[in-house]
Amino acid sequence: MTLSSLRRCALKGALACALASALSVPAIAADAVLRVSAIPDEAPTELQRKFAPLGKYLEAQTGMKVLFTPVSDYAAVVESLATRKIDLAWLGGFTFVQAKIRTNGTAIPIVQREEDAKFTSKFITADPAIKSLADLKGKTFAFGAPSSTSGSLMPRFFLQQAGLNPEKDFKNVAFSGAHDATVAFVTAGKADAGVLNASVWDKLVEARKVDTDKVRVFATTPPYFDYNWTVRGDLDPLIVKKLTDAFLKLDPKNPEHAEIMQLQRASKFIPTKKENYESIEKAAHSAGLLK
Amino acid sequence: MNDTNRDPAARGRLIGVLTALIILWPLFQAAQVQPGALFDPGNLKVIGNFLAAFLPPEAGHEFLGYLGIATMETLAIATAGMVLAFLLAVPLAYLATAAGREKSALNPFTRGLLTILRGIPELVWALVFVRVFGLGPAAGVLALGLTYGGMLAKVYAEIFESVDAMPARALRHGGANRVLAILYGLLPQASKELASYTVYRWECAIRASVVMGFVGAGGLGQLMDQAMKMLNGGEAASILLAFMVLVFSADGLSGWLRRAIDIPPSGRASPFGWRSLLVVLSLIGGITASFSLLELGFGELFTEDAARGISEFIVGFFPPDFSATWLARVGQGVWETLAISIVGTLLAAAVGLLLALPRSRAPFSFLLNTLRSVPELVWATITALAVGLGPFAGALALALHTAGVLGRLYAEALANAPQQPALALRLSGAGSSRAFLYGTLPGAAPQLIAYTLYRWEMNIRMAAILGFVGAGGLGQLLYFELSLFHYAQASTVIIAMLALSIAVDQSSAWLRQRMR
Repeated sequence: MTLSSLRRCALKGALACALASALSVPAIAADAVLRVSAIPDEAPTELQRKFAPLGKYLEAQTGMKVLFTPVSDYAAVVESLATRKIDLAWLGGFTFVQAKIRTNGTAIPIVQREEDAKFTSKFITADPAIKSLADLKGKTFAFGAPSSTSGSLMPRFFLQQAGLNPEKDFKNVAFSGAHDATVAFVTAGKADAGVLNASVWDKLVEARKVDTDKVRVFATTPPYFDYNWTVRGDLDPLIVKKLTDAFLKLDPKNPEHAEIMQLQRASKFIPTKKENYESIEKAAHSAGLLK
Repeated sequence: MNDTNRDPAARGRLIGVLTALIILWPLFQAAQVQPGALFDPGNLKVIGNFLAAFLPPEAGHEFLGYLGIATMETLAIATAGMVLAFLLAVPLAYLATAAGREKSALNPFTRGLLTILRGIPELVWALVFVRVFGLGPAAGVLALGLTYGGMLAKVYAEIFESVDAMPARALRHGGANRVLAILYGLLPQASKELASYTVYRWECAIRASVVMGFVGAGGLGQLMDQAMKMLNGGEAASILLAFMVLVFSADGLSGWLRRAIDIPPSGRASPFGWRSLLVVLSLIGGITASFSLLELGFGELFTEDAARGISEFIVGFFPPDFSATWLARVGQGVWETLAISIVGTLLAAAVGLLLALPRSRAPFSFLLNTLRSVPELVWATITALAVGLGPFAGALALALHTAGVLGRLYAEALANAPQQPALALRLSGAGSSRAFLYGTLPGAAPQLIAYTLYRWEMNIRMAAILGFVGAGGLGQLLYFELSLFHYAQASTVIIAMLALSIAVDQSSAWLRQRMR
């Protein structure tokens, strides 16, 4: 067999394919499609399961096709919102601040759960010797994702106020990437202690997915504003209105809505505004996560 | 012990060992080596539980569906990435190589570019591209394309330089231009080696595309990352099995292809036999399928919006943060990364040598193959359970994977070492261990050391990224800063990674030269 002719053919084939794929680009964000994503604060499969009924509801309410894209990186959601690859995103308090900065202040938070207005984080451990934040000195510690509000920023801020610097005072700092992963880390002894969002902790306890004889909460943060649903600033105001109304209309007495709200762990959705997140922005500056 | 039995080189060897220990001690400190943690009963129980959960592997319908898609995606990312790498490598190799030039003038600019492309690990490119192109496998394809483009170009250039230059020179003297001289004077000699290396790289690309999933570039790695983070043993086992099947079949396929190249051409003067036709068709089919499966929107890269986004993103990296406090943090990361790579490689060399020694090879070959086929990032998840998070877990993970690689190479080198010195020692009455130490080992040592140093060059790149799973060093720093959009700081870390890998390449080359 003659290799040079083989190679020439291979080259032609590859070029043809590259061209073909460049020409047949799918249209981005056609009008009738609403692209949605969420920060991966839990396993992406879990996020998809949680979103399915909400997606159907939003489809019915807006008359648009709703496409949910799971991702495994917090920053990718912020970047996608900024580059208009998605229209609606479930963001944490800190990722919202990042999105606001990266979109020059145009991203609009529309609604949040009632619970998000006074959110907390739980410090957990499986080590009997750890009874207070001060006992964490010299231990290994697991945060969630670096840009998580309840798994990284606010705990860091409150640790700082308690006189602890994670980089200096802890033996090793790890980022588990997600709240449920933090529980797995601490349960397995991969880290001596960790911190996660109160809502996910309660859910895992209710579902008996965590052995509470072994892993216990030893500190809780003061409350702060967290999660919201945010749209990109240049989305059609009519669609924004429809989306906002759809969320606010959700009523736990309606059995269909109840399922959605239970999966979202919401008792009620309330309107929110940018100003709610100013304290998060300040905390991020003082914790050194924003420059 | 009387004088005749004494090793005449004993004093020199002792001094050498002591010096090495004094130099290595701080590195072991930096890597936080605590062998005791390995045998802590609590830790052993945790690992036991995790590994016990591997059985039975998850075989749920829904999960197998995900697994199938992810496997196809990994294969497609590797293939599409190689196509891109090939398209990039051909012109770059043409520019970089001295082949076919009248004077052997190297092209320092292209060579420098190739060093940068190769020096930054594909995982770092992937992490950066995930930000630019957002969701999906495009990031993985581009990252592979760039790194492997750099590698292919360098090796292509060297292959062209290593074959007989006379035919090309004759063509040029006869008036042919450089392109024609290379095509008709050099390509026929080099084609076999070029094709063989390209196929080998495709196999490597499959492994690499799994690893890139760990930063969100899709495929099997992304699933593996989830399963490992959640310590879901059953899922991890299924994914690992799928991965091994993929790697072994790629291994087999590439072996078959490389052997097929050696089949002499048939007597009939036909450019296409059924075999080459089959290869060409499956190549085109595979590439087309890969691109269509991934739905790569490369067109999006060339819109005005995308251009603005990319340029804004790149501008964010300049100027890098060279403030004293940040440089001190990065310096610490560099030291830790260096320690992980050196401790990991040394442990691997020791374990590899032990596993290479026994005469009955079969069980040990199996063990070595198993060690080798599990990627370092996966080992790191397991070693982190064994010794807790931190640099030691990273060094152990490197050691386990590398021991598999080195053990195999060592066994071959020892088998190929000259047998006469050991035989002579045995005949004059020496025991088998002495015959090995003074007869076989000195003959094989240069080869063993060369392999070890070569692996160290690869391990420094891997050590730099092990931090993504909590093993400390530069990787963790980079992941953290990129997550927070601190691009100026991330830029310093990437520069440090590049400088470190170049410095290790240089010192390893220098050491190999000294050892000769």
